Parts: sequence; C-alpha cells; structure tokens
Amino acid sequence: MRIDPFALRKPAALLGLALVAIHLVLALFSPWIAPFDPTELVGGRVDPPGGEFLLGTDALGRDYLSRLLHGGRMALFVTFTGVVAAVTAGSLAGIAAAWFGGTLDDVLMRLCDVKLALPGILFVSLFITGFGESFGVLVTLIGLVYFPGVIRIVRAQALTQVNLGYVKAAQLRGESAFSIIAREILPNTLDVVYVEFAIRMSHAVLLLSTMSYLGLGLSPPTPDWGLMVSEGVGQLAFAPWLVLFPAVFISTLVIGLNFGAEALAGALGLDASRGHVGGT
Amino acid sequence: MARAFLRRLALSLGVVWLVTVLVFVSTEILPGDALQVSLTADEAAQMTEDDFARRRAELGLDRPAPARYAGWLLAAAKGDFGTTIIGKADVTEVIAYPLRNSVLLCLVTALVAIPAALAIGIAAAYWRGRAPDFAASSGAILGYSIPEFASGNFLILCFAIWVPVFPAVITAFTKDPPSVLLGAAFLPVLTVVIGSIAHLVRLVRAGFIEALNSDYVERARLAGASRLRIILRHALPASVIPALNSAALYVAGLLSGIIVVEKVFGYPGLGLVLINAVEKREVAVVQAVSLIAAVIVVAMNLLADAAVMALDPRARSR
Repeated sequence: MRIDPFALRKPAALLGLALVAIHLVLALFSPWIAPFDPTELVGGRVDPPGGEFLLGTDALGRDYLSRLLHGGRMALFVTFTGVVAAVTAGSLAGIAAAWFGGTLDDVLMRLCDVKLALPGILFVSLFITGFGESFGVLVTLIGLVYFPGVIRIVRAQALTQVNLGYVKAAQLRGESAFSIIAREILPNTLDVVYVEFAIRMSHAVLLLSTMSYLGLGLSPPTPDWGLMVSEGVGQLAFAPWLVLFPAVFISTLVIGLNFGAEALAGALGLDASRGHVGGT
Repeated sequence: MARAFLRRLALSLGVVWLVTVLVFVSTEILPGDALQVSLTADEAAQMTEDDFARRRAELGLDRPAPARYAGWLLAAAKGDFGTTIIGKADVTEVIAYPLRNSVLLCLVTALVAIPAALAIGIAAAYWRGRAPDFAASSGAILGYSIPEFASGNFLILCFAIWVPVFPAVITAFTKDPPSVLLGAAFLPVLTVVIGSIAHLVRLVRAGFIEALNSDYVERARLAGASRLRIILRHALPASVIPALNSAALYVAGLLSGIIVVEKVFGYPGLGLVLINAVEKREVAVVQAVSLIAAVIVVAMNLLADAAVMALDPRARSR
C-alpha cells in the first residue's frame, strides 16, 4: 500500500478523518467522559438544554448528553464486527472466485445477484422476522448483507492480478491454492479491501441506525442514536433537540466515514465512486 | 441483440427463483415455527396442544418444508400469498393498495430525481475540479450520508412545525385516489428525492467524465461539432451507462428509502405494512413484500440492461 500524503491534506479528507477520530474517541471513552449513567433516571422529564444537564434530559428523565455520548458504542461495535467479518470472508471468497473461476465463480456471482435484488432493509427484515433482533443476529446480518458486495469488488480487482507473472511464478513453484490466494494475490488487492471496508462501514452504520429507528434493530434501553430519534419524535413540536442532537451525531459519523473513505481511495489512487454506491 | 436480451431474461428469472428460495428459507427455518413466533407468551399459554395442532393444520404448517415451499411458490405465482396469522386476512388484499401507493411514491421520486441528477451530474463533470463540481460532489456525499429518518424529521420540523405549510403526518387513507395521496406527500417525496439525487449524481458525473475523455468525443471535437452538440449528442448517451449498469442498486436504494420515509410520515404504503408485519412476525406478509420488491428490482435491472444494449453497441455482442 502506497499512500499519497498530498491526497490526505485536502480539506474534505481532513474533515472526514477528524470526524471519524472524534467519534472513535467518544465511543471508546464515553463511560469516562459522560457525566451520568445513560440509563439512569436522574432529572425531570424533558428538561431543556443548559443548567445541570448540559443537553437536557429525555422523556424519561435520563441525561441526554450521556446518552448521546454512549449512543454510538453499541452501533459501532455491531457494525465493526459484522463488517470486518464480511470484508475478510468476502475478500477471500472474491479472490478464490477469480483464481478458480468455473463453478465456484458462477455460484458466488449468482449469490451476489440474489443479494442485489433484495434491498438491505428487506433482507434484514426477513431474517429478523424469524430470528428476532438479538445481538448475534444483528452482527450476522450486517456480515451477510455486505459479504456479496465485497466479493464482487475484490473479485474484479483480483481478476487483474491472476494472469500476472508473480502469480504464475508462485503456481510454478508449486504453492498451494490457499497460499496463492492469501499470500500472493491478497496483498495486491489490499488497497481495494481497505477502501471497501471504509465504505461498507458507512453503509452499515446507516443501515443499523435505520433499523433501530424502525424498531427492528437495537432495542431499548440501549442508548442508540437511531432509537433516540424514534423516541424523540413524539416530542418534536416542543423539544426538537431530542431529535436534532442524535440526528447530528449519526450524520457526522457517516459523513466522516464517507469523506474518510473518499480520502483513503484518493490517497491510494482508486476511485471510490465506482460501483460502491447504494448503502441501505 | 435479441439473443443477448433473452440470455439476460433467463438469468433474471433464475435470480427471482433463487430469491424465492431465500425468502422461504430465511423465514421458515425458524427456531419454532411461524405460528409460535407470531403468538405472544400470553396467547401461547392459553392454548392447548390440540389448539396448536389445529392452528398448524389450518396454516399448513404440519406439512414438510419442501411441500410447503412448492405450495407457497405455486400460489404466489398466481398472486395468492396466503392469509395472515392474526385476523386471517387475505395477504394479497392487505398489500394491494399499499403496493399501489408505494409504486406511486417511487415513480414520482424517480421522475423528479433522474432529470435533476442528470443536470447536476453533467454540470459537475463539465466543470470538473471547479466550484460547481466541488458543490455537487460534496453535496452528494452529504445527501447520502444523512439517513432518511433524520432528514425526514428535520423537514417535518422546518415545514410542518416551525413554518407550518405542510402536514407533519399524512392524513390520506390507504384507498384514497392517487391525486389525494400525492397532494399530501410533498415532504416524503422531497426526503427520498434528496437521497436519490445524491446517489445518481456521482454515477452520472463519473460516466460523463469518462465520455468526455473518450476517443469519439475527441473525434467529434476535431470534426468541429459545437459544444452543445458534443454534450447532448455524443457524451450524454454514454454518460448514463454507468448509472444504468447500477440500476439494481439504485432501485433497491430507492425502495429502502421509501420504506423509511413511509414510517417517518405515516404514508400508507408497503413499507408501513412491512414494518408492522415484522413487529407482529406475520411471516406471509414479510415474504410477499420481499418477493414483490425483489421482482421490481430485477425487472428494473432488466429494463436498464435493455437500455444499455440500445445505447451501447458493444453490450449487444456480449
């Protein structure tokens, strides 16, 4: 991986990286930063921002700042775990499809077509209807939703490598298929894999928060921005900050991830707009 | 060209068939079965073993899975998606009007978003690297980074609460005529249109830049064609090809957006039906909605493939 440092100094890139960094710090250290327990009833109902509770309290009297600070932890943990699984498995499967071709390639490509035909929300809804929305189900679903897309992108990159000299040399040395996939081709597709990871993270955060908003993702009393928006909607007319604050938190995270992905792609000399769009 | 199209048609039918398998397997291979999942603990406690057996037989859950799949598939092909577990309503009737309402919302959104995205994307590509490009590209990233449930509620706050020009919640009924529904649906349409334009602008921009750098545009320029003619006649048709190639992604994204927006505004469409059905674990409804959505995505993708073949001579020989 060769990073072009100039591409990272653009304002959009700096903004993206800064937003992601801030959100990561908040998510990791919120238990120490937050003034109150995010699930404890500490104040009056819907206290306005200012005073003892900096950003007010929600309809149950929980400190809103503490809930906002905690609101990305669970979502980031679920999406990170799911996306890491999807990208790892998808990369290996994508390279395998490019390397072996034939039936394996056909089967994996049909799998991609099927996933492509079902909008993300519907795909997740289908499984949640049967299995409920437990933590394990959500992580598995995030992984499953993004697995086929990663296969498609990494396969395309791997196809540019399979006929190159170093792969032929490894084959002639008698290396095993696994070794050729994991030790020869994979390192030369890593640029694409990193960008893929960043883009899928932004999609996954959007998808999970949307599911939570719809009541099909994380469930109360977990502090989560999507859930907080849906809980605040009832008070929209007289306490709009209950919706606006979590909306700003979730949006800045996704904006940061997208600008960050764009910056990473630019620094690696790739084009992020090619074939990745279409999140939820 | 006909052969290439028939090949795509066969592939599409294969994909739809695989989707039916996925839809059936994901909802039927449950811990427990559809009946148990849909009942609350109280209801289940009141039912005896005999009650369970009778309800299972009524719902056809006592048959083996492959037989149930075959029965479900044959009925679904005829437009019969079974009955709901609670209330025993006919699923086809439950989803008919909401389907019409959602398709209406989709069509209006696409009619607004596609021309707007073409104009913005082409402007961004034409003035590449300058102010219009910067504004369009950053605007696009903002547009698809902000979730619909956030932007939708923000629009409600601005245009229904602070400046009350539109209703916050749609007051139209499921069976109202299209004109009444759309008259009330300005904010929902606006919400989906924003995300929709953001998706398309990037694709159109990338396609147009590629077209502007191509040999045939160079040739037209050298032949002395006017700037406007180059844009409209030579670059425009080629620039929509990348967007058409990801038509499936676009339609899927559009449907997802519509589901969310229906929930935000209480628009009586398929999205609301779906969310209620998932909450109540109404398997037959979720299956029907998923299948219909998949058929729409695949059909639109097939149409887009046909359009690509019409626009791009190279695609016909593949």
